[in-house]
Amino acid sequence: MNQPDRFELFLLPDGVSKLTFTPDSRLPNTVNIKFEREDHTLGNLLRAQLLQDPRVLFAAYKVEHPLFANFVLRIQTEEGYPPKEALKNAIMTLIGQLDRLKKEFAKEWELKKITTETEDM
Amino acid sequence: MDFDLDGAQQRPQVTIRKATRDNVDFVLSNVDLALANSLRRVMVAEIPTIAIDLVEIEINTSVLADEFIAHRLGLIPLASSDADKLLNTRDCDCDQYCENCSVELTLEARCTGDATMDVYTRDLVSRSRDPKIGAPIINDTEGKGVLICKLRKHQELKLKCIAKKGIAKEHAKWSPASAIAFEYDPWNKLRHTEYWFEVDAEKEWPKSKNADWEEPPKDNEPFDYNATPERFYMDVEAVGSLPPNEIVLSGIRVLQEKLAIIVTSMKDEDSEMGY
Repeated sequence: MNQPDRFELFLLPDGVSKLTFTPDSRLPNTVNIKFEREDHTLGNLLRAQLLQDPRVLFAAYKVEHPLFANFVLRIQTEEGYPPKEALKNAIMTLIGQLDRLKKEFAKEWELKKITTETEDM
Repeated sequence: MDFDLDGAQQRPQVTIRKATRDNVDFVLSNVDLALANSLRRVMVAEIPTIAIDLVEIEINTSVLADEFIAHRLGLIPLASSDADKLLNTRDCDCDQYCENCSVELTLEARCTGDATMDVYTRDLVSRSRDPKIGAPIINDTEGKGVLICKLRKHQELKLKCIAKKGIAKEHAKWSPASAIAFEYDPWNKLRHTEYWFEVDAEKEWPKSKNADWEEPPKDNEPFDYNATPERFYMDVEAVGSLPPNEIVLSGIRVLQEKLAIIVTSMKDEDSEMGY
């Protein structure tokens, strides 16, 4: 009776933006980004990738409440390096890495298929 | 782009240990724990598949309730390798459902003889022209598929099913993977866990089968506090709707799409702010 629809976990309703940037006035070059209709799958991945960037001083994410499908990502970067750019670089690096992983897996699968086929012969 | 960053993270490596019709057992190395876990989460929950979502029951005189049978029909794996060709019913501009966003299947069974009639998945008839979309998966040795219902003499079952595209986040019937085994650091050299024991942890806990794939720690070896998880032993078990290699490849693709949506949302925001 009280359970919300399951599709609210991933469907963005009208009027709700996917990302909301809120700069933190207390510290320089710091921003809190709210990701709507996303969960740990993206949150943890982006956080871990941002920490690999040497110009990122602080990166963390939290899911504020398990009943709502959103998380907040906080990024602080060095002078002259906007946090948005750090996030974009992190995402592009990840997409590239996933591309290489896809090619590697497809290659290994074909090799395995060939070797099992020759065994059957 | 920062080339130092690219070089520092070496190429991801995959070693497939075993590949069968239903499983792919592989070792993923030179990736982050976060990436391996996100890939696992996506494979379980966010790969679009096709499953029966709407059941219109005309006649049901079997011993099972209407909703009971509808629930079972929803869990039947349907061929989803070409699921990209099907639109999402939410995005389609038709009223309710149409040929472009759904697959229609019919089931008509009537028991006429004295013996109990078994209704199997192979009795579902797909209306789509393409046999690769929406046809029930039959991996049975006898070619019958999953048992749906049993009928006695004069009991009848006549229904129409509409199969739609969806993801497991909405309902588990849309998950292409039944279980994904995931392990790293079989010797606990990273101390990510602590073993409960009665007397001796090493004697009481069985060795993982992945333990042969890594060096056991030497006695009195100092703890390496800088080490990070690097090799992940994964075994993807398929339900049947997608073959296991397609599950992994689709998982990677869906993860890339999720990331790409974020980048485009950032670009839209920049253009709104007038940059």
